[in-house]
Formats: sequence, structure tokens, C-alpha cells
Amino acid sequence: MGDVLQVIQSAVVLLAAPLYAGVLSRAEAVVQCKRGPSVLQPYLDLRKLLRKGSATSDQASWIFHAAPFVAFACYLTVSAIVPIITDEPLPLAFLADLIGGAFVLSLASFAISLAALDTASPLGGLGASRTTWLGSFAEPALILVFFTVGALSRSDNPYLENHAIAHSGAAYVLPTHLLGAVAFFMLVLAENGRIPIDNPSGTIEISMIEESRVLEYSGREYALVKWGSWMKLFLLSAIFMNVFVIPWGLGDATSLAGGLLGILALFGKLAVCGLLIVIIDSSFAKLRFFRIAEYLGAAFLLALIGIATSYVLGT
Amino acid sequence: MTTLTLPPAVVESLSASSPEGVLLDIAAVLILLCAFACLGSKLFDRYVIYYGAQSILLSFAAAVVALHQHDAGLWALAVLTFAIKGIGIPYGTRHFLIDRFALKRDVALSTGLSSSLIFGAFLTAFAFLAIRPGTVSSGLVAEAVLPISTAVILLGALCMVVRRHTIAQLIGWLIIENGVFLGAIATVATFPFIVEAGVFLDLVAAVLIMIAFVSGLARQLAEASAPELRQLSE
Repeated sequence: MGDVLQVIQSAVVLLAAPLYAGVLSRAEAVVQCKRGPSVLQPYLDLRKLLRKGSATSDQASWIFHAAPFVAFACYLTVSAIVPIITDEPLPLAFLADLIGGAFVLSLASFAISLAALDTASPLGGLGASRTTWLGSFAEPALILVFFTVGALSRSDNPYLENHAIAHSGAAYVLPTHLLGAVAFFMLVLAENGRIPIDNPSGTIEISMIEESRVLEYSGREYALVKWGSWMKLFLLSAIFMNVFVIPWGLGDATSLAGGLLGILALFGKLAVCGLLIVIIDSSFAKLRFFRIAEYLGAAFLLALIGIATSYVLGT
Repeated sequence: MTTLTLPPAVVESLSASSPEGVLLDIAAVLILLCAFACLGSKLFDRYVIYYGAQSILLSFAAAVVALHQHDAGLWALAVLTFAIKGIGIPYGTRHFLIDRFALKRDVALSTGLSSSLIFGAFLTAFAFLAIRPGTVSSGLVAEAVLPISTAVILLGALCMVVRRHTIAQLIGWLIIENGVFLGAIATVATFPFIVEAGVFLDLVAAVLIMIAFVSGLARQLAEASAPELRQLSE
């Protein structure tokens, strides 16, 4: 049964990620009193892009063509190892722990950055440099968030963290956990280029970060890149909800029905997370580039205080 | 209750896993974050907002302890904290100082915001290391709250050191006072009410004097900083 659920879990991430992105942009438009695109728009975009051919620079090497596939494979790998629909580890979950998952996500980002540098377009280089700069601040904070997880569950396995806080109200309200959760959410926004860091719908080349790395892509490869970034948003939101905020409601890993119920619960949780993201997107402005360090420093600080508290409480 | 033995202090009775302990714990962490927010901000308005939020959280913490101890004096203290520190002082500072002098952005900083935040994080870590587990017996809420209150005191002091504007230093000093108060209610809730009330009156008087003093001074020079005074004499 585990194998079937394993496939279902990755399929859910693969197929529902565009829907999540579509719902987010629709909700954002509604909040701003606009009609907005249909929630199915990402699927239509994908269909259109997948049918088109690619136009690539004649300076591009194989790296440029391989990067979208590497990144896409990385996101698929992560979808197999984190708790998305079941609360017990599925067969492939022991491939990696949280830190391993973060490595795989960094690998995807690294591949895209390489591809951005590969075509030697100035905007690609700009985007790659900015993302790397941002990553050098985000990674230490992410590692500290994993330490807060470790302080609570004595492991760096997302499933054990989920169990530790789902089964004990006292652990859930510990400052260590709450601060770690807030810090992780700030990092989710930063990793996905949401509003305080980057404008996801931005089309102004000079100020964009994530999007400028993939400007050179078109057609099928662009579809993969877009799909990958939606999967990343979906995955990180699901981890945030399942491991940090609502650890309950995951299906059990022994029955198909449990897994399917888990999918429904997951959609409910993602609705909550999406609402949070939409509220933040429409009520804050994009930070000036050099203030992003302060934003990520704040996430670092929250996680650090969380760890300090746990050190004293001896949990 | 007519015996002369001291009533049990909160450290003796409030465990970290009880509901009150958890509430006190979270309130203390939020108070610490307010201190950090103040340290990391550059606008006078924000200083006052964060100080007010911190004081309201403090009054909440005092109410939690009062609920646990069934102590009328502590209840009065919580209400007084809310009224004076949570509303009165922020309103007074904003109305009489910030609005009147049209203060917006604090430019008189000795270091950048990021470096002062990093230094603040080091001070917090130092506070947690200095109040080692074992200073208070383990499993009690004071074990976490005492280091946090020490950290708040240090952060308030850092605010005063880093900022050179008198009003910003006033806020730093008020944060120190909040830290002392947090430590007091978490460890010795049996502090006589009259002493606490006296401290309150001192505080209000001090703020009033500060307001009068700054009002007179601020027109000529906005900062009361020793290096600047030394420059004048040369």
C-alpha cells in the first residue's frame, strides 16, 4: 500500500501545484478588487508552452538545456520524502532528512543559477548573483530552523517533528516551536520570491530576482521551469502546514482511503496557508534590495532565540 | 495567613508545563521580541508602539501570575501596568515629545541596525548562558523567564548605548525597567505591593521630569551625548 501512496503523493504535488498557484493569483486579484485570471490558468499556460518549440541563444551549452530537467527532478525527489498526505513515512521517505531535502532544493536553485549564467545574458547573471546572495543569508537561518526542530523532536526528520508536536500540546506551544514556525514561514516567502522579497508577478527586469534567472527560457523548457517553481511553492507550503502549523489530519499510511482523506485535509490546510500568503502579498510592499538582509536576519534571530529558549528549558 | 513565614514564591509553584507557565513563557518571549523590534527600528513612532506592546504583554504576564497566586495586589499591579505603561507613557511620549517636535526618523545611531541586532543576539545568548540551568530548579517557568528578563535588561541598555537621541534613550531606559519588572514577577511575586507601587510612581515622575527636561532642551540640541559635549569644549 505504501508504494501506491508514494506514487499518489508525488502525483498530488505534480498535478495540484499549478492549481495552488492559480488559486493564489486569483485570490490576490479578488483581494485587490480585480477579476483576475481563472484558477485553471496555470494549466492552460502549461498546455500552451508544452506545445511550443524553444528558441535558445546560440551561446547556450548543454547546461542550459539540462537545468530545467535537473530542477524538476529535484522537486519531484523532495515530494517523495516529506510528509504531504500521510503521517507515517512512505517507502522513499528515508532517502533524506530535512537537511537532505534542503540540499536537494538548493541543488535545483544551483542548476537554474548555472543556466542563467550560461547564456551570458546580463539579466540572467544579475538574477543568479542576487539569488545566490539571498541564499547565503537564507541558508543559515534555515539550518537554525532545523535546529529548533531538532531541539523538539531530537531528530531532523520531518515525520518525527510532526509526531512530537501533534501528540503534545505542551510541545506545540513551546516558544522554540512557535518561533521556529514563524522563522520558517519567513523563509518560505523568501525562497519562493513572494512579496516582501520579490514580486512574483513582477515584469520589471531591473528589480526582479527569481524571474530574471529564467528570462531566456521559452517553450517546453520554460514550462518545466514554471512547473518546478509552482511545485516548490506547493511543497514548502505543505511542509510548513504539516510539520509546523497543523500537524493533525494527515492520512494513515496503511490504507488507500486514509491517504485520500489526507489529500482533502491537505487542500484545506493549503487554503489556510494560501490565505496567509495572499494577505501578506496584498498588505506589504516589496523590500528594498539591501533591506532583505535585515528581513532574513530577523528570521535568523527568531530561530536563534527559539534555540536559546530550548537550551534552558531542556526539552 | 497570619504566620510570619514568607508565602511561596512563584518559582516554587509555577511549573513550565502548567497552562499558566506556558502563557507566561510565551508572553516573556514576545516581550523579548518587542525589545528586539525596538532595537531594530529607526522611527520614533515605532519605538513607542513597541514599548507600549511590550508593556501590555507585561501586564498580561502579571495578570497570569496574579491568577495563579490569587493575589489582589498583583491584579492591581497588572491593571496599573496596563494603564500607565501600556497606554499612559506611550501616549504621553507621543503627544508631548514626538508629535510636538515632529520627530520622524532617528538618525543619531552609533552603529548600523544590523550590527546592533547581531550584538543584541549575542547579549541574549550571553543572558541564557549566564543564568545557567541550575540557578533556578529545573522544570519551572522561571528557568526560562529569568534569562529572558535579563536579556531584555541588556537589550534596553544596548538601546541606550547605540542611540544618541534623548527620547530614544528614554525608551531604552523604560525597556530596562520592563525587564526588571518581568524578572520580579517571575521570581518573587511576593514583592510587597507598596514597593512596586512606589517604583511605579517614581517611574511616572521620572518620565514627567524627562518630558519637561527634553522639552526645554530639544529646541537647542536634540542629543545629550557625551562625545558631542566634549567637542563643544574644544
